[in-house]
Amino acid sequence: MSSNRWMGAGLIAAGVLALVAGLLWRQLEADKRSALLDGTTLLALALPDVQGKDQPIGQWKGKVLVVNFWATWCEPCREEMPRFMSLQEELGANGLQFVGIAVDQPDKVLRFANEIHLNYPALIGGYGAIELSKTLGNQFGALPFTVVVDRAGGVVLTQLGPINEAKLRSIIGQLI
Amino acid sequence: MMAVGVVLAHGSAAAAEPKLLPNERAFAFSARGVDERTVEARFVIADGYYLYRDRIKFTVEPGTLGTPSLPPGKVKEDQFFGKVETYRNQVVVKLPLEAAAPGSAVTVSADSQGCADLGVCYPPQIQKVTLTLPAVGGRPGMAVEAAPAKKPLFN
Repeated sequence: MSSNRWMGAGLIAAGVLALVAGLLWRQLEADKRSALLDGTTLLALALPDVQGKDQPIGQWKGKVLVVNFWATWCEPCREEMPRFMSLQEELGANGLQFVGIAVDQPDKVLRFANEIHLNYPALIGGYGAIELSKTLGNQFGALPFTVVVDRAGGVVLTQLGPINEAKLRSIIGQLI
Repeated sequence: MMAVGVVLAHGSAAAAEPKLLPNERAFAFSARGVDERTVEARFVIADGYYLYRDRIKFTVEPGTLGTPSLPPGKVKEDQFFGKVETYRNQVVVKLPLEAAAPGSAVTVSADSQGCADLGVCYPPQIQKVTLTLPAVGGRPGMAVEAAPAKKPLFN
């Protein structure tokens, strides 16, 4: 009898725990989604370009925007940029816009941009850009970190680490 | 280069988190007083991660540091920066203290920047350790590990 009662209490406790865990999980998932889907903060920003002129990110609203956080001191970042340049060249006229936000110093960014003939804007985010990328889901503030924003200003993809070109093409293809 | 792959597309937020360590655990800093004017600084570097030699800087408070001699790293040709050297596994550096008071507490700060083979680089970080220097002729101190970084504002 008493062991039955214990078992009953145990089952109820387990049920309550499962319910709480489920609710917490749903809340976590909801938080993640809303953070990912809202590009408002990003689009409201203005960052200086390599000439020191402020460039509002909002000027590219309405385009399919690929924002890439990078730095010259990040080799995997530098490696993938030529692929972004090809896509910009190929699909820029269709409304695709790459924007690089460099966690770096302007002189280094300018030197590297000239060296590779960068064909999309390089904005200077400094280390503040790391915090910005964290708000977009970049847990460790590591680079490269890439964010795809649809024409309506919603964040539809974030990726830490080099982005697979086929995957990026497929996503862009759906949005353009 | 392999993508780490935290992909959260179109609200399907259940994608796996990348198997990455936080910066301060990927590059764990510790230090100990070897004698009254020498600190031994150490980075223990997790498997699959590496530190850039020329991004490592030390400062000490109070006092000043002589020039520490960093061991040679593995040389690699970087298209942008030229010859760069990297460390894996661990790196140990003797820091010569100038005008240090034996038996006193000093705080050693280490600047470093590293990357993971998965294809990501971490931002530069500063790790601090406060340790007590041995007295003259005293025994070397125990290693003190850097405290975990404060929880970032957005995380």
